[in-house]
Amino acid sequence: MRAQAMTMSLTEDQRDCYQEITNVAMGQAADRLARLLDVYVILPIPKVNMISASELHMALADTATSDNVSAVCQGFIGSGIAGEALLVFNDASFSDLAQIMNYKGPLDQHGELELLMDVSSVLIGACIHGIGDQIEVSFNQGHPVVLGQHCQVDDLVKSGNHQWSQTLAIEIHYEIENLNISCDLLLLFTEDSVAKINQQVDYLLD
Amino acid sequence: MTKPGVEFAELHWLMDVLQSIDVGLVILDRDYKIQLWNGFMENHSGLPPDQVHDKSLFESFGDIPETWFRQKAEPVFELKTRTFTIWEQRPYLFKFKNSRPITGRSSTMYQNSSLIPLESVNGDVNHICLIIYDVTDIAVNQGDLISANGHLAYLSQTDSLTELFNRGFWEQEFQREHKRCSRTSTPCSLVMFDIDHFKNVNDTYGHQAGDEVIRTLASIVRQTARETDICGRYGGEEFTILLVDTDAEAATIFTERLRKKVAALVINIDDKEIKFTISSGIAEYSSNFIKHTQWIEAADKALYHAKGNGRNKTTVYQSK
Repeated sequence: MRAQAMTMSLTEDQRDCYQEITNVAMGQAADRLARLLDVYVILPIPKVNMISASELHMALADTATSDNVSAVCQGFIGSGIAGEALLVFNDASFSDLAQIMNYKGPLDQHGELELLMDVSSVLIGACIHGIGDQIEVSFNQGHPVVLGQHCQVDDLVKSGNHQWSQTLAIEIHYEIENLNISCDLLLLFTEDSVAKINQQVDYLLD
Repeated sequence: MTKPGVEFAELHWLMDVLQSIDVGLVILDRDYKIQLWNGFMENHSGLPPDQVHDKSLFESFGDIPETWFRQKAEPVFELKTRTFTIWEQRPYLFKFKNSRPITGRSSTMYQNSSLIPLESVNGDVNHICLIIYDVTDIAVNQGDLISANGHLAYLSQTDSLTELFNRGFWEQEFQREHKRCSRTSTPCSLVMFDIDHFKNVNDTYGHQAGDEVIRTLASIVRQTARETDICGRYGGEEFTILLVDTDAEAATIFTERLRKKVAALVINIDDKEIKFTISSGIAEYSSNFIKHTQWIEAADKALYHAKGNGRNKTTVYQSK
């Protein structure tokens, strides 16, 4: 089983299809965010890759443009497909975020947590929902967990001791026009989910 | 013919489950009026469903800040998305007692909550469901973990006799400051000092007295140093203080003040009066100190010079 999982890879068609599905889903998510915040959200092309446990740290390090970040993660599961969504915010984003979210309280660690939770609820929920809609899976979302505030990217996910060797990673970088706000959404699917999603994706490709 | 009966039975079971599940379920309409209140909510709040039904959530439960809660709930109505709150944001929404009132270590129940949209037949969201989870054990354990880690960190960084930083941790901090100095132009001075003829103290008055001398000296260091200064016990009777934002001149004033305080001190142990002095070496950071060890060597050289100069002295390192 393990050897089979190790060789798991994506065909070009599958990768394109994942990218397309994500495009639609993150478009929906951005639309909800835009409606919630009344701003224009800039969307890039999502990156789709099979990555190993060690590469996850590199992928996370790539997302961080500043030293300190805050992050929330949330598990999702449905029809044999399981994974986690990770939302990583640059700490520099919070003051602008507070402004557009109309947050009046003091912007201390607690205030930032409120913003982090509010934005992640909307973004993660919409994205997972959007993907689920297209592959016809209704995902169940676990409760969000704060991975860390004002910490180094390296400390977000403890290295080693992972129960998995490979994961399907979809990386989406969100930016908001004219504001110093940027965040990264990582959708990570477990290796045994990949075969199941591929099935669904192949079905869509046909 | 039997089918409606079966469906009714199933509905009955479902209602039973909703009523007895160990999770709080509240359904709210668009005006935040309570439409469903399950057994968990009834039992923990002491309010039966008929007392809260059709009452505003905010009027019935003043603990829930209206603006805050609306900010979480409006996206559920408007965007049909789920939202979540965690106990780190607010320990609880409803002020319930701990479900283990005897052995539990928190008086109130910590709560996570989910808000989910309930779509009507035409696809509109006119109602939302608020789900309350009891996470008291998780929250209490997390608090324990943080305080245990804090205590462990303190133990691993602290010298038990003096309660100053131990050598390992001090060096780690010193290396970081050395790196910082090489990037910035603010001055920073390192002071190394030790007790003159400490062996005599030990030999004459015993090791207990020696320990007391070291402890007393450390407490004077703590009183004299600023909060930002990094003080450590470097060896047996040898101490280090890193004075941030301080040039050699200001460091000399600081060190002289410390030296005079110590020289004027009399420690009484077993009716014996012990007096002692210290010698210090100061080295201000210079870009010549490429490695942090070179900086320590410089301060050590100055200290050696102070010793050779008759002790109870302060010497500033001069690069040639």
